[in-house]
Amino acid sequence: MPSAIITKNLRKVYRVKKRLGLIKSQEEIVEALKGISFEVKYREVVGLLGPNGAGKTTTIKIISTLLIPDSGEAYVDGYDVVRQANEVRKRIGLMLTVEKGFYGKLTGKENLEYFAALYGLSRSEAERRISHLIKILELDKLGAVDKLFEEYSLGMKARLSIARALLKDSPVLLLDEPTLGLDPPSARKIRELVKSLAKEEEKAVLYTTHNMFEAELVCDKILLINKGLIVAEGSPDELKSKIPKLRVITITLRNSERVRVGEVLAPLVATYTVTGSEFGETVVKVSTKNPEEILGEVIRALVACGCDISSVRVEEPTLEDVFIYFSQ
Amino acid sequence: MWFIEILRVEYKLVYAEMFRRKSMLVMMFLYPYVLTGFTLFIGYSFGSKQVFVEKTGVAPEVFMITASFIMLSMLASIDDMIWKPLMDLWHGTLPYIIASPVNRIMLYAAIPIPRLTAVMIIGSTSVIPVYTLYYGLNGFPTSLIVIGLASLGAIFMITPAMVVTGIVNTMGESWRVINVIRPIFMILLGAYYPRILMPLAGLIASYTLPSSYVVELIQAFLRNVTNTSNVLSLIGVATALFVIYAPGGSRSILLWEKKKVKEGVKYD
Repeated sequence: MPSAIITKNLRKVYRVKKRLGLIKSQEEIVEALKGISFEVKYREVVGLLGPNGAGKTTTIKIISTLLIPDSGEAYVDGYDVVRQANEVRKRIGLMLTVEKGFYGKLTGKENLEYFAALYGLSRSEAERRISHLIKILELDKLGAVDKLFEEYSLGMKARLSIARALLKDSPVLLLDEPTLGLDPPSARKIRELVKSLAKEEEKAVLYTTHNMFEAELVCDKILLINKGLIVAEGSPDELKSKIPKLRVITITLRNSERVRVGEVLAPLVATYTVTGSEFGETVVKVSTKNPEEILGEVIRALVACGCDISSVRVEEPTLEDVFIYFSQ
Repeated sequence: MWFIEILRVEYKLVYAEMFRRKSMLVMMFLYPYVLTGFTLFIGYSFGSKQVFVEKTGVAPEVFMITASFIMLSMLASIDDMIWKPLMDLWHGTLPYIIASPVNRIMLYAAIPIPRLTAVMIIGSTSVIPVYTLYYGLNGFPTSLIVIGLASLGAIFMITPAMVVTGIVNTMGESWRVINVIRPIFMILLGAYYPRILMPLAGLIASYTLPSSYVVELIQAFLRNVTNTSNVLSLIGVATALFVIYAPGGSRSILLWEKKKVKEGVKYD
């Protein structure tokens, strides 16, 4: 199956006027994209992660035909985003911001009807799609259907934005920080929906977020973008394995003498700490690059000296560690 | 079919803005009276009613209420269209409109129609009573003809408004330019200030606006100096100009969009 989104060596330079005084200004060149290439397949959620100003929004804008790249190519569902923009527009569902993007004096349903007309849906088709989306996004349960958009909560706005993105039943979804500022239930609802859209309805989803926890939950693949370049890509696990970070083994012991524990660990590991917990337990933290190699030996030694182990935990590097590592 | 759907949702959008914003609705009803009252107050303070009738051939109250109605209807065509890109930018809806497959020309042609319909209905509440008061029962059909002609004039304004919309919105801080252009249109249409009294530059500019011919026709009709050839020639010139502006209007809108996409449509 061909990829839903293909970008090849996309470049974009912004010329920004920098004020130097009351009248004088100087043109400043900002290289937003320095040649990025990636693909998004159908049934796949790809996360675009990066610090502010990394080029995420520029990428989304180019793919959604809202910006023309200086060079490079981008295709959506096989259509060129510059030369066949109108064909691309028929095939994308777009969610750019949660807070804005609708008419305040129209109700949620009327707003959806408005955009359905712009998307070329017939009246009956629009009604059918809108009823379906209202139901799956639970806008009816929230009492948002006949409420004016200007009276919406952020959670309602986000759901309505998703509903608009899904109006056309497009094969490609472009979602720019869809859960920004949402309460946990709304954010969870949207994450679940995005995952199910990709897996059950075979959509390709390009998803930007700053939320590492969310990226790990939702995305099959992550593209880390920094200063206009993709600095790393892979599944969350693949990315974590790419960073050289010590992992921490935390062992909690009951009824153990700290001095004795230290004596047991000293010949086995180089870096460790032994502290007490607020519940009177002894907490041992061992830092190592390869926990798999020493964990068995440490546990055996502790059990042999009579320590009562209540829990063992190995802390993996988080996606946040990966993000920070590649962003620096 | 698609145009009908767009028109339907545009009606909904405009009427929601009007009826769910009570102050706006009240102002639309009051506007012709307020403007007429104000201009008559100024007029009576400095001049005589008799002189006005001698010069224009129409009672000042009728002239002013007609002029206010003409303005309201013709500016309805210009206003909604010219402000549309900015309003969409402020609402955050602009990127979704640009990223939609809708035919831009179809959309922009549909934009002024709902408000125009509303203006015709609301405006008739000022024109019909005043005409009936001044001309008796004959005033009723006269007022309907004036309303009909004003509607036609407003429709003729659609294509030049598209040209102006595209050009103005490609400029930086376009809202400032719009605020300057609007009163110029008001003058050049010749509703308050008959174009025969304009300086040469103003006269030439006025001749380029198709709706100004309809305004001239309405004024001639009120003075009872119209004949068939006069009506046909004025409507003919207005129609020809409307058609001439059409390709420019569509090119202007597409040019504006092209520029926006080149810069990157803002949404954050």
